[in-house]
Amino acid sequence: MANQSRRDFLKQAALVGTAVTGLSTKSKAAPKNSLSEDRMGVLVDTTVCIGCRKCEWACKTAHNLETPPLESYEDRSVFENRRRPDSKALTVVNEYQKNESEKIPINVKVQCMHCDHPACVSACIVGAFSKQENGSVIWDGDRCIGCRYCMVACPFQVPAFEFEKALKPDIKKCDFCFARTKDGQIPACTEICPVEAITYGRREDLVKAAHEKIKNYPHRYINRVFGESEVGGTSWLYLSSKEFEELEFPKLGKDPAPGVSEAIQHGIFAYFVPPVALYALLGGVMWINKNKKNDQETEI
Amino acid sequence: MRSKIILIVLISSLAIFAQNKKEAHPNLNGISCKTCHSCDIPTKENPCIKPCPRDKMVSINQSPEEGPNVLVIDKFKSQSNIYAPVVFSHRLHAEMSGMAGGCKMCHHYNPPGQVIGCSDCHELMRKRTDVSKPDLKGAYHRQCMQCHRSWSGKVDCVSCHEPNGTNQKNKEQAITEKSSKRIHPQVITPTVLKFDTPKAGGKIVTFYHSQHIDLFGLECQSCHSNESCAKCHIKEKPASLKAKTADQKHAVCSNCHDTKSNCNMCHSSTTKEGFNHKSRTGFDNSKFHASLSCSRCHLEKTKFTGLKGDCINCHGKWTQENFDHKKTGLAFDENHSGIECAECHQEKNYSNPVCKNCHEDKSYPKNVPGKLIKKK
Ligand code: SF4
Ligand code: SF4
Ligand code: SF4
Repeated sequence: MANQSRRDFLKQAALVGTAVTGLSTKSKAAPKNSLSEDRMGVLVDTTVCIGCRKCEWACKTAHNLETPPLESYEDRSVFENRRRPDSKALTVVNEYQKNESEKIPINVKVQCMHCDHPACVSACIVGAFSKQENGSVIWDGDRCIGCRYCMVACPFQVPAFEFEKALKPDIKKCDFCFARTKDGQIPACTEICPVEAITYGRREDLVKAAHEKIKNYPHRYINRVFGESEVGGTSWLYLSSKEFEELEFPKLGKDPAPGVSEAIQHGIFAYFVPPVALYALLGGVMWINKNKKNDQETEI
Repeated sequence: MRSKIILIVLISSLAIFAQNKKEAHPNLNGISCKTCHSCDIPTKENPCIKPCPRDKMVSINQSPEEGPNVLVIDKFKSQSNIYAPVVFSHRLHAEMSGMAGGCKMCHHYNPPGQVIGCSDCHELMRKRTDVSKPDLKGAYHRQCMQCHRSWSGKVDCVSCHEPNGTNQKNKEQAITEKSSKRIHPQVITPTVLKFDTPKAGGKIVTFYHSQHIDLFGLECQSCHSNESCAKCHIKEKPASLKAKTADQKHAVCSNCHDTKSNCNMCHSSTTKEGFNHKSRTGFDNSKFHASLSCSRCHLEKTKFTGLKGDCINCHGKWTQENFDHKKTGLAFDENHSGIECAECHQEKNYSNPVCKNCHEDKSYPKNVPGKLIKKK
């Protein structure tokens, strides 16, 4: 709650600030962090995923990113390096080799977790990030000022910045296929997955199904659903046969307060006094720069 | 009065239900309805089948010939624009799975009657409300990949799928032809296997494989359950045995044997003899019981203890009236035909008869209380 009000305060601070510098601003209020009971999620069963990377292909195709031909995804040498989602791939699959005696490796798909209490939303001072009713955490390019606080705040290091683009770089991250789900389709990756290692459904149902699986197959799974309570719960949930930390999942508490973003904001308050004026100046300048390249968008 | 009527109605409906169970599932007598159904009275309209805990589900085995030879899996034709439908050599796969677990390797929920296919339970649409089980596409692929992945290490689609637009008829014909010729060879069961183990003072374990099947009545699946093709069709030998713990190595044996404290039962510095009832238990079963299967006397499956050679365990109490002594190869003379068994047989297994109770100067087998005849 305290967190929420701080965020609101910061948003207002930014709005007031931009107004002070005499710039127009959006009057739309940022969407509330409303957690609908029917919000959707995805259950990732890492014991089922075969590492075919079709999800990577489908994700790129659905987002009009440069997409190599489907056949090239059969090349398994990519697993030699650990990859992270970036501005060119909103999701990646990594591979973890078990010990010698067990021949089948474990594959883990990585993307934005769509937190129930997203640190990125809290960190963003202009409200470019928002948690939608269906669970998605999405980013609005028109509002973003490119400060990259979200990147630092995210406990999963998901938001990526298009460093290679000098003009109007965007923040890129998995948007839970917001455009598709609005249309009644399911996310592209969950649609293509041949083994349905990633199941799309109501988060509540998925949590139930996950625990049912653990109960039925105690030898197959460890007794933990990653994302059920980590950082206050996430829309994407994971099942695994071994401890998540061994699969390079971050070690996180159950506390929904996004600690990292808090630290940034505290830091800002400590060094910049009074912050409002500075925000106003910085934010305003960046905003102008951005809108210059974007003048087809008419604002008030 | 009314409550009595309700009670009667309830009881009779339960009785009808119990009877229906017999009709619906004639082979499931030993299985509780609750294994599969969540409600008390499942009906055709509302069978209330439980979410599927695979390995606890009922599965009935059929022979590979009873199933189809080749299947074209074209349920997703309208959904997929990347790959053509798979032509699946069902019979060949059924034969291959024969040793590892039979039909239930794939048809994990399979009550008697017609075999239930994947699409009977798994939904065709991925967008659905019941997320407790995978959709049909997921279910199919999981079955395939479980073996194919561990066997070849590959997950490429084109191992099974042709790209869209290829001539399916040709493919179908080719696979039908191929699988009518190439049948998975019968799995040859070894008679005896010798394992070299690192155990000090007991390096050799002699394993009489055929005895475990023929004598002790184990099924292939008792030990080889859930083994995939990779068990035999191994591409590169893993250093797996070394990496296994002692417990893992003993896992299969310890289903029946005490592997914690009784090492010498299997481990020895020399090759061991196979099982011999007389030397192992002291009861010589070669004279009268040689043709019996173990289970005639050892009623509890895989438990072979507790009888201690007492005839009474199986035969009840013998008397002159109910025992035909001629069966043993000895027909009494008149003098001996009326006396109690215990006069001569003092041991509980009726061996080593004595004469001294009546005749101080006589002994068996020098003297015989009748005539030796051919054993019946
Ligand atoms: S498509 Fe499914 S199975 Fe393939 S890598 Fe992605 S999550 Fe894993
Ligand atoms: S994973 Fe990171 S980017 Fe995604 S919602 Fe959570 S905090 Fe935001
Ligand atoms: S939900 Fe959509 S954006 Fe996110 S990883 Fe899947 S395909 Fe990509």
